[in-house]
Amino acid sequence: MLNTFQQADHPVLPKATHDERSRQEFAKGMRGYIQREILPGLTSLYRKVSSSAATALTDRHQIRKAMIREPFFQEYAALNRTAQDLLWASAIDSIEHDWERVTDAADALADKGGELRLNPDLDVPRYVTALDIHCMPGGYASDADAEQLAAGALYDRGVYLYSMGYSGPLSDDKGRSVCNYIKRNLKGFSPKRILDMGCTVGHSTLPYKELFPDAEVWGIDVAAPLVKYAHRRAAGLGFEVNFAQMNAEKTEFEDGYFDLVVSHILLHETSGKAMPQIFKESFRLLAPGGYMIHADLPPFDLMDPFTQFILDNETYYNNEPFWGAMREMDQIQLAKDAGFDPDTIRFDTAPMAVLEFAAASASGYSAEAAEGVADRDFTAGEFAPGGGWEVLIAQKK
Amino acid sequence: MLRDAKGKRPSFYDSPALDQMMSMIMVLAGEVSVLADHIDSIERVAAKNGIDLAAGVAALELDQDALEAREARRQAMLERLFYVIRKEAAEAATAETGEGYSQTIAEIAAG
Repeated sequence: MLNTFQQADHPVLPKATHDERSRQEFAKGMRGYIQREILPGLTSLYRKVSSSAATALTDRHQIRKAMIREPFFQEYAALNRTAQDLLWASAIDSIEHDWERVTDAADALADKGGELRLNPDLDVPRYVTALDIHCMPGGYASDADAEQLAAGALYDRGVYLYSMGYSGPLSDDKGRSVCNYIKRNLKGFSPKRILDMGCTVGHSTLPYKELFPDAEVWGIDVAAPLVKYAHRRAAGLGFEVNFAQMNAEKTEFEDGYFDLVVSHILLHETSGKAMPQIFKESFRLLAPGGYMIHADLPPFDLMDPFTQFILDNETYYNNEPFWGAMREMDQIQLAKDAGFDPDTIRFDTAPMAVLEFAAASASGYSAEAAEGVADRDFTAGEFAPGGGWEVLIAQKK
Repeated sequence: MLRDAKGKRPSFYDSPALDQMMSMIMVLAGEVSVLADHIDSIERVAAKNGIDLAAGVAALELDQDALEAREARRQAMLERLFYVIRKEAAEAATAETGEGYSQTIAEIAAG
C-alpha cells in the first residue's frame, strides 16, 4: 500500500515550499516504513531473546532490559526517534517561513466562529510542562511562543505527519469515530451541550458540531497557544465552536451543564493525581442521563508483556512520562469512584473513520490505501492499531 | 521557534556517536529524497513546456548569484544535518539527564 494521504488546507495551516513539503513527506514516509517493515522484526527478535534468556522474561521491564542490548532493537528505536525529530523540524521550517501570512490569517479570523476564552492566570500543570510531550520542541505552552499561536500550528502539522494521515485530512478521525459510535450504539441520545477536554487544536472537537449541528460545543485545553489556534482554525473552516483555556481537573462550567463530556488521547498526558480528578469533574459537569467517553489507551492488563513492552517505548523514547503508568490505572474503578453507574461503565472499540475519507475523495485517500489502514489486525507499535480507538464509556444516572 | 524538545534524548547504541551518526544518515537520506522530488518536478514542468533540460544543464555556467545561492543552501543543509549534536549541547546546557527523566516519570505517576 502506498500512503499518499494529504492534509486538507485551511487558512491558518502553514504553507510549505516545495522542498519543505518534500522534507515533511520524507519524515512521514520514514515513519510508515519503520512501522511496516522494521517493527514486525521485533517479534522474531523477542522469540530469540526470550528463548536464550537465563531466566524467564515475565514482565515488560525484564523484556526491555534484555531487548535494549540487541542491535536490531537499537536500530528500530533509534530510527523511530530520529523520524520523530525530523517531522517536527520539517514542520517548524514551514511555520517560520510562512509566519507573517499565518498570523495575518489568524487575526482576520479573530471575530469569526465561536467564543474564545483565554485565562493568563491559569497555572499550566507540571505534567504538561516537565517534558516537551512527544518531543515537540517548545511543548504546548512555551513562553518562547511570542504570539501564543505557533505551538498550535506546529501541533496541527506535526500530528498529521505523526499519524501519517491515518486520522484523515483534518486529523479528526478520533472525534469522528466517537461520534459514529454514539450514533450507532447510543440510539436516541442527542446531546445539546458537548465538552471536549484537552482539545489541543480542536482536531477531534469539530466533528461533534458537524454531527450534532444544534449542539453547543466547547473545547478546553490548558495551553493558550492551542486553544487560540483551535479557535482560528475552526473559524477558518466555518465552524461555530467555542474554545477556552481551562484545566479539565477543575473547569469553570456550572454543575450539570453538559450532556456529553469527551476526551481524545488526553488521559495519558495527565498524571496519577489528575486522572481521578478529571473523572470526578466529568461527573460534576454532566446532567443526569449524560455520558462520559474518554478515547485513549487500553490498560496493560488486557495485553501480554511483549505488547506492553512495545507500547511502553513511548514512555522512554518519546517524552510521554505518563504513557506507561496511565495504563496501570484502574479506569473502571476511577469511573465508579467518581459516581458513574457501575452497570454502564465499559471499554469498547470505536472503529476508525478512515474509509469515510476515501469515500469523500479526500486528496491522496485512495480506497485501497484507506482499506489497508482500516483492515489491519492489532499490532503494538503501529499508529492506531487494530483499526479502532479504545473508548471508556460511563453514564451518569 | 525552539528547535529542541525538553527531555533527555535517549541513547540507543553502546556508543553515543552512533546515535548521532544514525540521525545524520537519515537527515542525509531525507535530503537525497527531497532533491529527487525536486528534480522530478523540474523535469515534469519543463517537459510540459517542451523544454529539453538535459542539454541546458550540460551547457550551464554558474554566475556569482548562483554560487552564493548554492552555498547558502549548503550551509542550511549542514544546520539540519548537525541538529542532533546541537541537541546534546543544549541538554548539557540545561543539565537534562536520564536520571532526571526517570524522576519525572515517577513523580507524574504519583501525581
